[in-house]
Amino acid sequence: MSLFKFHSPFLDDIKSKGVIPASLAKVNETVERLTAGLDIQDIRSMLRGDPAPRPNPRVKPHADSFWFHMRPTYYHNLVAGLYPSFRLGWFSTYFFFFETITGVILMFYYTPSPLVAYENMLNILGNVPFGRLMRDMHKLGAELMVLVVCLHMLRTFITGNYKKPRQFTWFTGVVLLLVTLFLSFSGYLLPWDQLSLWAVTIGASMAEAIQPEAVGVVANLLLRGGPQFNANGLLRWYLGHVLLLPLVGFIFLGVHYYKVVIHGHSLPPEGEAVGEDTAKRVPTDQRTYFMPDVITRELFYFSVTTFLMVAACVFFYHAPLEPHADPLVTPLHTTAPWYWLWLQGMLKVGDKFFFGVIMPGIIFNGLMVIPYLEVGPSRRYGDRRIGLTMGFITCAVLAILSYMGTARYAVSSSPDQEVVAELLPQVEPGPLRESNWEELTVGVWNTEQYSDASLNPTMQHLLGVYHEELEHAKSNPKCIRENKCLTDGEGVMTIENWQDGLKKITFRLTWDGGPGTDRVCAPGAQHEFCQTAYLHRLSNYAQGE
Amino acid sequence: MTRREFLYYLWAASMALSMAEIGGAILWFAVPRFKPGEFGGVFELDVTAVPPPDTGPKAFDAGRFWLVNLGDKDVTDANLKEVAGLPYAEQQKGIKALYKICVHLGCLYKWVPTNYRFECPCHGSKYLPSGVRIGGPARRNLDVFVIEAMDASGKVLSKTEARFDGQDGTAIDITGAAKLRINTGQKITGSPNSVPGVA
Repeated sequence: MSLFKFHSPFLDDIKSKGVIPASLAKVNETVERLTAGLDIQDIRSMLRGDPAPRPNPRVKPHADSFWFHMRPTYYHNLVAGLYPSFRLGWFSTYFFFFETITGVILMFYYTPSPLVAYENMLNILGNVPFGRLMRDMHKLGAELMVLVVCLHMLRTFITGNYKKPRQFTWFTGVVLLLVTLFLSFSGYLLPWDQLSLWAVTIGASMAEAIQPEAVGVVANLLLRGGPQFNANGLLRWYLGHVLLLPLVGFIFLGVHYYKVVIHGHSLPPEGEAVGEDTAKRVPTDQRTYFMPDVITRELFYFSVTTFLMVAACVFFYHAPLEPHADPLVTPLHTTAPWYWLWLQGMLKVGDKFFFGVIMPGIIFNGLMVIPYLEVGPSRRYGDRRIGLTMGFITCAVLAILSYMGTARYAVSSSPDQEVVAELLPQVEPGPLRESNWEELTVGVWNTEQYSDASLNPTMQHLLGVYHEELEHAKSNPKCIRENKCLTDGEGVMTIENWQDGLKKITFRLTWDGGPGTDRVCAPGAQHEFCQTAYLHRLSNYAQGE
Repeated sequence: MTRREFLYYLWAASMALSMAEIGGAILWFAVPRFKPGEFGGVFELDVTAVPPPDTGPKAFDAGRFWLVNLGDKDVTDANLKEVAGLPYAEQQKGIKALYKICVHLGCLYKWVPTNYRFECPCHGSKYLPSGVRIGGPARRNLDVFVIEAMDASGKVLSKTEARFDGQDGTAIDITGAAKLRINTGQKITGSPNSVPGVA
């Protein structure tokens, strides 16, 4: 009978205690194993808000569990809340994971090939349930991640937290900033629209400016995957976006956060004496324990941010998709994403090797070594006047350069093209495409009719914009000086029913008499500019709102 | 140093060397190989495809070039004052095949008839029909492809040459020519042209 010995402590427990008490004890034991140290009583005591018993069982998971061992057991009271760090590092991490999750979901319906990438985007936007929401959230999350990471860096700089012994933490942070910027930028190419192609073409051409020339040529080829962007280049940027950069990001995030935890969260400058570092010797009466206080706050930040992201993308924000990439046309007013505008501004004023390679190199290397240069022991604002002044000057210069990077600075085309570009821009949908298709009235309309009350609101609005831009162009001081104004300029907008459900809209500007009524929009005409757009009833540029 | 320590250093050095070799192999692997394809080949055009003088350029997308026919008006363009004193301020009449890519950062510059010049939509470089840079961040004139003008029998009458130090292609006279051969595999880069004070 005892050939096979059968062990079952649980059955023994049932025998001795009865079914229900033994089962409850078993459940309790399972919970304690899953939480690496907290049983049901401990958890309920936390949820009730009881003070921690002594010895405190709530610190056990920090020693025994994988996930909690990465988090500090307690924070100093001064840094446990939203102020003074604004938890920007936490939010950066949040967006890193948010982007990873939404990105992986988008990968289900995306193939990195110029043949189908754009079609995949249309499918995601128009056909896949929640597809547009996922793309909007991924894009908005990317923009916010750049913003949050930059603010995180600025805040760390202002409060001087990068001073000894935290210099290396800052260094890895700059690497993470670069990873963030390139992650966001590499995502640009993937939809294979006009914005993608030309933003990334400029980026790769900057690599080409590296001296000596042979290095630049090879760097350019490596980035483009050929003499011009095509299937190879798209695949490279895709792999960089979904594999290489996230991998580098995860590794440096690990190093960065490890350093944060071993050095502790630095107190605000006024919170401790100069030269002291309280973070590793937090007095017992100044501690806010991770469980339950900090984790509750973090769950709250998580819930609110996720809710706001979803709400923003459902009601307000929609990621743009431009026309299909066209290697033969660079759209007017092409600009870099906002966080690279300062670079585009610099590139407009000078040499591409100096401003496109040397200067960014100096800026990012300079950022990495700041903590090793600013070695004064005090983090008080009053003791850091030079450093803080230089920091704010840098911010101001970046703001000015960013303005110079916009299309308003030094790239405006001839006044006739600029007028039409206000109605029918080449890098965004603009007033015409976003207008109500049903209200585009067939006919020939002059800008002077903008105040005609018998027209519907859409036509009044479009003609109003057209009229205003035309008058604005006529009174432009620069073109008056160069005597190139649209003298006697006249604007006409023709709307025709082209096919069933398709309207053809022609903007025609004439000046100095124009070519005459018998030659409308003929090629090579003088004193005339024409641009045509076709709009389908279902184009849905207004995006349903 | 003991023999053991020495052998460790030797081992470390050989590991570093093989890592460098692997890195080099990966780079070599990643450098794309490509055939020049259509672009990079020779395009043969009839002279009737050439636009009349002073009428602005004509685009040839497959060969990625603009064909310009510089006439009296083009060579005396008022904007040439921007480069006064520089060698290429003196312009030649004739035809040129301008490579369509902006020499700044690779965008496609476009022809703006109202301003009668090329303008780049990305960073605002400006060029005359002759390819001379007159503004913006570009640092040289436009690149050109070599054109050969041939008569009906195939004899080469004139050919694009470099004007200065192997740079800046000449405009060629095509009187009497019947055909043009534009070699998009042979590019002459524009002369350095960075005029202080011109934005």
